[in-house]
Amino acid sequence: MVIIENLNKFYEIDGQKQYILNGINLSVQKGECVILKGVSGSGKTTLLSIIAGLDKPSSGKVIIDGEAVSKLPDMHLSKFRAKKIGIVFQNFNLLEGVNLLDNTMVPLIADKIGLKEAKDKALNALKLANIEHKANKIPSELSGGEKQRGAIARALVANPNLILCDEPTANLDRENSLKFISALKKLHSMGKTLIIATHDPIFEELDFKHKVVEISQGKIGFAVDA
Amino acid sequence: MNELFLNNYVIVYLFSETVLFLMALYAFFKDIVILKYWDFESFSARQLKLEKQGYLLSTIATFIFALKFILLIYFVYMIDSLSIIIPGAMCGAGVISANSYGMPLLFIKLTTIFTFLLFLTLNNLDLKAKNYPLLKLKSWVLLAALLLIFLESFFDLSYLFNIDLSVPVSCCSALFGNLEGANPLPFGLNIKNLLILYYTLYIASVLAILLENRFLTAFTLILFAIISYYAVVYFFGTYIYQLPTHKCPFCMMQKEYYYVGYLVWGSLFIGLFFGLIWVIIGFLKYKNKTAKQIAIASISLFVVLCSSYVLFYYLKNGVFL
Repeated sequence: MVIIENLNKFYEIDGQKQYILNGINLSVQKGECVILKGVSGSGKTTLLSIIAGLDKPSSGKVIIDGEAVSKLPDMHLSKFRAKKIGIVFQNFNLLEGVNLLDNTMVPLIADKIGLKEAKDKALNALKLANIEHKANKIPSELSGGEKQRGAIARALVANPNLILCDEPTANLDRENSLKFISALKKLHSMGKTLIIATHDPIFEELDFKHKVVEISQGKIGFAVDA
Repeated sequence: MNELFLNNYVIVYLFSETVLFLMALYAFFKDIVILKYWDFESFSARQLKLEKQGYLLSTIATFIFALKFILLIYFVYMIDSLSIIIPGAMCGAGVISANSYGMPLLFIKLTTIFTFLLFLTLNNLDLKAKNYPLLKLKSWVLLAALLLIFLESFFDLSYLFNIDLSVPVSCCSALFGNLEGANPLPFGLNIKNLLILYYTLYIASVLAILLENRFLTAFTLILFAIISYYAVVYFFGTYIYQLPTHKCPFCMMQKEYYYVGYLVWGSLFIGLFFGLIWVIIGFLKYKNKTAKQIAIASISLFVVLCSSYVLFYYLKNGVFL
């Protein structure tokens, strides 16, 4: 499903290469749940952004479903991301002033489907994320937990096989974090591949995780198969 | 250095051209690196950097093309405006022929725009695929376009530096009037045969495009463009000016003629350029329906526009010029 080979991300400052990611190799099979663990600044978010095609690596391969994401031209990358990858961000990234239903429909724009079909898909996704009763609310009227479930619905709406979560519980209390984890479990049972970047210890208790990967200073410290 | 360089139009023109020259210079070196080191199969830092630079180059090329297009119109407007300070010049025709660099400069400008348009079309097709199949070709085309910019800069400076404000130039009537004993039309044509050839080539061009015969399209379109130039200057233009002795390709771009010259020449060149681009990408086994439609629409607009001046003149006055 996801193959990462010799991935590097660096910036050149005064002729010196400053590595954000250094020689990352990782393989994630279809349906697996992988936790990327590490302190702030360790490179988790950068790795996730490169997997999602939101950022480009300096060198190395990222292959998802046989497609070299790091080399796709922009117009293909946007379509690929819209169809194959769902992303849940730490700060939810919901559009203010637009209700949750419309927020959820945003990834379908690339699909160019009709409004009615898009609405049906969005309502289904909101139902899966257990937030359909707030479909007409705008983000400022929602709690942190509700916003995060809205973000899950948006990540799910195009029915992607790969869901990436970047510090998804960083802005949630324990109760909402547990609700979020139960939503993740539902996704896992649907056969979705999950990659979660976090430093929240709550994820160490997950009973459905397959692998915990420690990232430290841009390198993989250890990978433990659960 | 003469007072020409203190003219506002010239200052703005040279400043814009200098900016484009510097951008072209940067793009030129980057393009050479891409041509030398491109290896799509590689995942090395150099290759991924080249892929990013490829986007930068296409952005620069788009910017240069857009500005060159505007500057071409501006250039025509500028030389028309300079006619007031160049002795003997009544319009752009006199200014452009003030020295031997003028006409080649205009031709290079048109060729540059065409080459950039070809690059942008190839770039668009290239990015529609996942593995940059046209990368090398489009990079060579870009290199040619950038070289044309350098050549154009040389001709720009040579042209403007070599305009001698103390020497009167020939203009419209002297240059394009009926010279006794000399037939200015090509292939020994007279006006009647010129018009027959003009309409025949128009129909042939449209048919060749519709029948998707690319060799015939290229041949007829280029010939049509050449014949059209003479047809406009020596026949249709006289109806635009409503004066049988006024044979000039530039005056029709002035306010008195509602700037119609821009539409006349613009529609001809847009039709020619898009037609040739359709031919070239067709040889590369790509289809571009839009280029085909623009080509037909533009040359048709050109023919209708030119013919309507004759028709309306006749309907109004009951006679031909």
